[in-house]
Amino acid sequence: MTAVTGESALQGNGVLGQPLDIREDPQLLRGEATYVADIDLPGTAHMAILGSPVAHARILSIDTKAAQELPGVLKVATAADFTDVMPLPCIWIPGGVESHFPPHPYGLPGARPVLTGDSVRHVGDPIAVVVAETPRQAAAALAAITVEYEPLPVVTRADEALAEGAPQLHEAVPGNLNAYWTCGDKDRTDAAIAEAEVTVELDLVNQRTINSPIEPRGAVGDYNAATDEYTLYASTQGPHNHRFLLAALVLGIPFNKLRVIAPTVGGSFGTKGYLYPDMALVLLLSKALGRPVKWVDTRTGLMNSTVQGRDHRQHVTLAGTRDGRITAVRATSYANLGAYPSTIGPGVATALMGRSISGMYDIPAAFCEVYAAFTNTVSLGAQRGSGRAEAAFLMERLVDRYAFEIGMDPAAVRRKNLVPKEKFPYDNGLGWTYDSGDYRLNFDRAIELSGYADMPARKTEARTRGKRLGVGIASYVAICGVGPSTRMSKEGMLGGTWESANIRVHPTGEVTVTVGSASTGQSHATVFAQVAADELGIDPAQVQVLEGDTQKAPYGQGTYGSRSYSMAAPAVALTARKLKAKLVKAGAVFLGVPEDKVVYEGGGVHEEGNEENAKTFAELAMAMWYGWGLPPEIEPALDETTHFDPPDFNYPFGTHVAVVEIDELTGETEVVAYTAVDDAGNIGNPKIVRGQIEGSIVHGLGQALMEAAEYDEDGLLISSDLNHYALPRAADVPFFTLDKTTTPSPHNPLGAKGAGEIATVPPAAAVVNAVVDALGDLGVRHIDMPLTPEKVWRHLRGEAQ
Amino acid sequence: MDLSLNVNGRPEQFSAPPNELLVERLRDGLGLTGTKVGCDTGQCGTCVVRIDGRSVKSCLVLTASAAGSRVTTIEGVTTLGGELTGLQEALREEHGTQCGFCTPGMVMALGELVDNTAGREAPTEPEIREWLTGNLCRCTGYHSVVRGVQRACSAARAGESAATAPGQEV
Repeated sequence: MTAVTGESALQGNGVLGQPLDIREDPQLLRGEATYVADIDLPGTAHMAILGSPVAHARILSIDTKAAQELPGVLKVATAADFTDVMPLPCIWIPGGVESHFPPHPYGLPGARPVLTGDSVRHVGDPIAVVVAETPRQAAAALAAITVEYEPLPVVTRADEALAEGAPQLHEAVPGNLNAYWTCGDKDRTDAAIAEAEVTVELDLVNQRTINSPIEPRGAVGDYNAATDEYTLYASTQGPHNHRFLLAALVLGIPFNKLRVIAPTVGGSFGTKGYLYPDMALVLLLSKALGRPVKWVDTRTGLMNSTVQGRDHRQHVTLAGTRDGRITAVRATSYANLGAYPSTIGPGVATALMGRSISGMYDIPAAFCEVYAAFTNTVSLGAQRGSGRAEAAFLMERLVDRYAFEIGMDPAAVRRKNLVPKEKFPYDNGLGWTYDSGDYRLNFDRAIELSGYADMPARKTEARTRGKRLGVGIASYVAICGVGPSTRMSKEGMLGGTWESANIRVHPTGEVTVTVGSASTGQSHATVFAQVAADELGIDPAQVQVLEGDTQKAPYGQGTYGSRSYSMAAPAVALTARKLKAKLVKAGAVFLGVPEDKVVYEGGGVHEEGNEENAKTFAELAMAMWYGWGLPPEIEPALDETTHFDPPDFNYPFGTHVAVVEIDELTGETEVVAYTAVDDAGNIGNPKIVRGQIEGSIVHGLGQALMEAAEYDEDGLLISSDLNHYALPRAADVPFFTLDKTTTPSPHNPLGAKGAGEIATVPPAAAVVNAVVDALGDLGVRHIDMPLTPEKVWRHLRGEAQ
Repeated sequence: MDLSLNVNGRPEQFSAPPNELLVERLRDGLGLTGTKVGCDTGQCGTCVVRIDGRSVKSCLVLTASAAGSRVTTIEGVTTLGGELTGLQEALREEHGTQCGFCTPGMVMALGELVDNTAGREAPTEPEIREWLTGNLCRCTGYHSVVRGVQRACSAARAGESAATAPGQEV
């Protein structure tokens, strides 16, 4: 244990960074956690939502009379019942040419009304709600609502939505164009491409996928007429954000009349940070009926209403020299925003993707343009690795295509173009300034660990078994730590993006940490206790962690973009340091020595050179609780809060290597080995991060091999249940080979970088690179995901060229 | 219709509509919310319980067709806040749960595998992965779960009761 004095008492007791057991796990393993569907308030009525069965139509009439008369039905409501409710807003407006629908009374872009009254714009577009005594009664009443539609033509692809004569979704949005957005230097990039020795181009489809948390969303509204207060229990990543959006921008009620509580949340991967109509509806209907109103989605409901991910169609170009130096990259992307702009969907589809396209490489000229368009599909939002995964996919596919063109090894091309260590902080020319990194160390470690040098021999061996072996590399940089609020405002984010923590030391020496973030499965209670315990020099078992209730937690923005450990944990650390500084000051009084003679160690204080003159943490806690003898400049009690707004983002990175074997008879692609070396800066609990890395990789493999949200020409989501939407299962993946490098971020006091989702960024590119490598001698240069056996089989037979 | 079930060792008698699913009886009728619902098509495995010892998706079983059988839910595996079974302890050591929503179903499904292992050859990694294909997890990528099962099976093989608490019958 390191002893430190005075205000420089910054070093911890070493519990941070240790793979401590996860304190959440026993409760979860016993099935004792309460998720939103498990909440059963006395007198609860149940809500069901009628979603449109057609993708695009004018609503001519809605007849709810028959539904109203069914047994158990308490209320049937349509848009006409909520004319005084403001539309749900969109709060990330990335800039460029902008148009939205419908306008919001506060001058914000509106995302969508709570219920659709005039037209439906995607299958699942909510039209009416029923509240009944039981869930079954509510569902049965939906079938009795009669809606007359006048069908309209349908468009489901972004590029087609922008074409002349395409069906129009919103009167206020001519040509369906929500935004034309650019970053980088167009002229310089075009010139570099025109002058280049070599150029390669690809047309890519980064297919739409469905996040698929295993817990569907749900909400319980509970209005208390006696106090005129609303409580919302919801599966949310950000209870404070939902409180703000609902109270101020949708319901128009005083902020202090709405409390939002996130119970245990069963995964999210981006989806549960968005504002959905159901959240407002359960509150409004609870008030109308004077009873708690509960709604829990079905899987098919989720797939037709909860934000979906990816969905870019791109034309991308890379220029370089004959000897492997990349000189320019350019991307034109058609992003499919779905029928309405989701809460932050437009920003995900533009800035998060566009500014990230140069990846780990030092490229003199880069440019990205995005056409973000409305179509008759479910709204687009974040998905684990959002934007950055789409960027890495295009860049890493281009690098392989380029290496093939110039006859160089793809690893050698990458290595030659990595941003060198001495160039940090590094301006990537697209808007990001990478904070820190040793990319070559990371890259070389992954290549070595994967056994890359042995691949030619393994390929030969595989052919003797009727298999084609391929190897694919993908490197990435994933912006995380959203973020610096002022910087995000320039990115078009309407809201602060800082994070917070409060620490209260109780009179008996136990500690409660409360954070504004909210876990959706990231073991916050374990790792935030480690941060506080490490800083304060106490046992983590003494530290309780609370979050997820707006009435108890300090304001904060929630869990998204892998931000909690590099945003909330620094707030915890800084708060603990405030407490330590206070204890050193107070310690001087209690010990009767000057402040510079007070040593803070092991949670207590003692006089320098005299360990007999000491106070333990518990003694200090009680003394501060009493406050006896404290001078006027030292307040009693130990209760501090920090709102942490970092100077800039942080930039984790890594290199993954996939090895696949393709069955020559069936076209089936098996991932036989997968190596990942990720750098998330200083890690709080390696056990947590390992689990997140493994899960993230499997999520990425899902996109590469099997996942696709398929809409038919009428706009019907064909893959709208788990029979038709394939998620990776345990038998689909091998164990991985994992390692890490550690480059602390200078932008927070823990040196932390994002970790939760980063490993979702490269797997799709690594696997497609591996499959194209395996089929290269057949003339295959690219295959769009997902790499289903049928698709690969057609390439093996030469049918798909 | 009037039905009876033995749930977690307790006899339960109730009247249920003929189209009621077992998962509805367990969650809504008996308040045993440790059993989850994650899909509508029998794909996700969050609702797995054991019926007469076999692991079964309770959303694919009518309450009426389960009548007279012994049903064990996650609540029947340990007491509230109680000591973990060998399987749960192994999963805890390997951090085989993140958001926890799939976890009760996993524990129930894997309990049967681990119980079957006692005194026999431990299942291979492919066998464990195959057994797990009835349960979806989006957080962990299954690795920590598979490691947990390997750990539990080697303990079970050594004769410790892994899935079931001492003296308990499923």
